[in-house]
Amino acid sequence: MVEIDATLVAQIINFLILVAILTKVAYKPLVKVLAERQQRIENSIAAADKEKALAEELKAEHERQLANARTQAQAIIDKAEKFAAAKRDEEIEQTRLECARMLSKAQEEITRERDQAIADMRSEVVSLSLAAASKVIGENMTSAANAKLVEGFINKLDETKPGSLPC
Amino acid sequence: MGHEIGAHHLAHFAGFTIHMDTMYMTWLTMAIVILIALLATRRLKLVPSGWQNVLEMAVEALLNQIKETMGPKGVSFAPMIITLFLFLLVGNWLGLVPGLSSPTSDLNTTLGLALMVIIMVQLVAIMNKGLSAYLGHFIKPMVLFLPINIIEELSKPITLSFRLFGNIMAGEILIIVLGMLVPYVIPTAWLAFSVFVGVIQAFIFTMLSMSYLSSGLNDEGH
Repeated sequence: MVEIDATLVAQIINFLILVAILTKVAYKPLVKVLAERQQRIENSIAAADKEKALAEELKAEHERQLANARTQAQAIIDKAEKFAAAKRDEEIEQTRLECARMLSKAQEEITRERDQAIADMRSEVVSLSLAAASKVIGENMTSAANAKLVEGFINKLDETKPGSLPC
Repeated sequence: MGHEIGAHHLAHFAGFTIHMDTMYMTWLTMAIVILIALLATRRLKLVPSGWQNVLEMAVEALLNQIKETMGPKGVSFAPMIITLFLFLLVGNWLGLVPGLSSPTSDLNTTLGLALMVIIMVQLVAIMNKGLSAYLGHFIKPMVLFLPINIIEELSKPITLSFRLFGNIMAGEILIIVLGMLVPYVIPTAWLAFSVFVGVIQAFIFTMLSMSYLSSGLNDEGH
């Protein structure tokens, strides 16, 4: 039942043959495939890392461009606002000048009208005074002497109270 | 059954006696192992499937075990150890097929493999530590321990081979005996258990071989 004989040696040889065959047909190709797969996985991971880095770079680039665009837009808005403000100021100034011009023109007109009115009034008053005086005196003096007399009187009035005639 | 327990069909040539039935079973085992290996590696793909997956899982599990127990130097023993496991596994299971017997139920097979492993361990130890350190380890911690150390070395192949031989032989005997005594249910249960025993014994043999080899490779331990 437990005899030991040359079978022992034969079994060792059988086993060694099996090791040799398996090494040739299975282990070497298998180890190769495992190594290949490991290499492949490493490559894939490296490639993925690279892609990720690239994507991050792109993202940063985009963000930078976006920020740039925003700054430029802000600059354009600022410029437009400044321009608008300048335009408005200019128009206000122009309007103000126009007003001032119109005002001074109106004042001039008023002054002129008043002077005219004063002159008219003066001659009217002279003739009225003459008429009144001729009635009072009852006798007509020479008109030239009369006019001279009254004008001298009115001129005196002008000198004391210029432009404030009760008219 | 056509199989007489413990009796071998003998062949004699050049003064040697050889158990032909054991030889046939061994060759059948080898053929099956090689067939599985061929099936698994016939079309190797980067993305494994089918048999390739199975063999890869087994090989990778054993490789990891080898690296853990024996360190990086042990990888060169990987083909031997993986083959040992596959051969023992298929061999142990072969005896569960009616009409066939396990090559491992012959002591010549198990003792042969155990002796091969132990001789390898001694050679590895001599190559790794040098002859004087190897011989010096037999008289550690003192000269008185020389017989104990020698017995320890001698016991390694004996325990290794008899454990496997006894388990498989007992399994086969019990299947036959139970089949005769209580047919159907009990033998089936024992058969299922023997499948488990076959894995465990193949694993134990392989693990112990690895552990002996790693003790030869590394300086600590005996």
